[in-house]
Amino acid sequence: MRNCLLFFVALFCQNALSQELFVVTDPASNVPANSLAVNVMQSLFKEEMKSGYNYHFMPEVTYGLNKNIMFRASAFVSNRNNDLVTEGGSFMTKYRFYSSDDLNSHFRLAAYGRYSFNNADIHQEQIEIMGHNSGFETGIIATKLIKKVAISSSVSFEKAFDNKPNYPFPDAIGDNATNYTLSIGKLMYPKKYTSYKQTNINLMVEFVGQTINENGKSYLDVVPAVQFIFNSQARLDLAYRQELMSSMIRSAPNGFYFNLYYTFFDLKNKK
Amino acid sequence: MKRINKVYVMLALMILMFTMKSNAQIVKAEIRATGLTCSMCSNAINKQLKALPEVISVETDLNTNTFTVTLKEVNELNPKVFKEKVEKAGFFIGSLVVTAKSETITKSPYILVGKNSGTGSEVQFQVVDKGYVTDKEFKKVSKSYKDIATYLADNEDDFHIKILN
Repeated sequence: MRNCLLFFVALFCQNALSQELFVVTDPASNVPANSLAVNVMQSLFKEEMKSGYNYHFMPEVTYGLNKNIMFRASAFVSNRNNDLVTEGGSFMTKYRFYSSDDLNSHFRLAAYGRYSFNNADIHQEQIEIMGHNSGFETGIIATKLIKKVAISSSVSFEKAFDNKPNYPFPDAIGDNATNYTLSIGKLMYPKKYTSYKQTNINLMVEFVGQTINENGKSYLDVVPAVQFIFNSQARLDLAYRQELMSSMIRSAPNGFYFNLYYTFFDLKNKK
Repeated sequence: MKRINKVYVMLALMILMFTMKSNAQIVKAEIRATGLTCSMCSNAINKQLKALPEVISVETDLNTNTFTVTLKEVNELNPKVFKEKVEKAGFFIGSLVVTAKSETITKSPYILVGKNSGTGSEVQFQVVDKGYVTDKEFKKVSKSYKDIATYLADNEDDFHIKILN
């Protein structure tokens, strides 16, 4: 496990538009064509129903097939049962179907789909196919960039399946939900660019909500984040997620994110 | 004597062929990209452009997202290459100003709109086709070029150019 971790930390990392590179949501923009982005996401959330912290380790690989389509594969590792166990994985594809760009601004729309599998126990009403449930999610994202500020919003439908082989989805709780997000990012530093080597600093705040379609149970979280971009190629995010309101059972709603990203630009021409 | 003449003719032809080739080419391209403000995005374009074997150097103004691409002596690049590269990075061209050997624009893929060129050995021109100017600019210029049939045809393999020098 440690070797695996070291391997990904060594490789670490992702790309695209810094103010748009949100921590818990995706913008309508994709990674560049022929480029590979590696992301290592780690999260530490405080357990509400027992003592201790829930640690998740989520390595991701994203590939830009062409200017409009990207693919992503993720693996989910967690310590929910004390040892670090690989519980599942996920495939995602995103298609940018509309772009209206102008000098220093753009408006873009994208559609995405994600399929995940997971074998962990089901321990909450919240549906989360990123590391907790088997299931799928499909949605639409709109992103607007104006100078140094990016605003992005998404709506999606998420449905959970049984966490095979041992944990069928409980009948008593709703198995599908509507998710909505609103993210705002701003480039704080530098005020004026001088080179690619300059470290960029972005501040972000994201709102993430879910409503279980069957019974209307909901939550809304806020995620403030600070992001550093090094050498215009690597990225580090530090974020904290805080529940604002919730009417559903959640095992660990509050905690920290720590992400490392790296982009390998234009693979085909580098031989 | 006759043999010497033949050699001279051959030599002259070879020189002519060589100079013709080097005359019909782009020397420099100044690309202003749209849709971005971050250095990581800019770097994506930078890397795409640098991946072209014909490119000697790419200079970037990160504040305006302008990329000045200097090309090797002998190349057969046309403006479409730059458009494809910028779009691969996930962005678009807002303006493309090309410096080329003046002979370049007398050849087929280039269609002159507006005034003719000066007499220098190099010519500087802007590509005014869709995809090479901002959407707003395109709406404006497409009105003034509405009588040019080839412009409206939106053929990706010809380039309508406006001489700047």
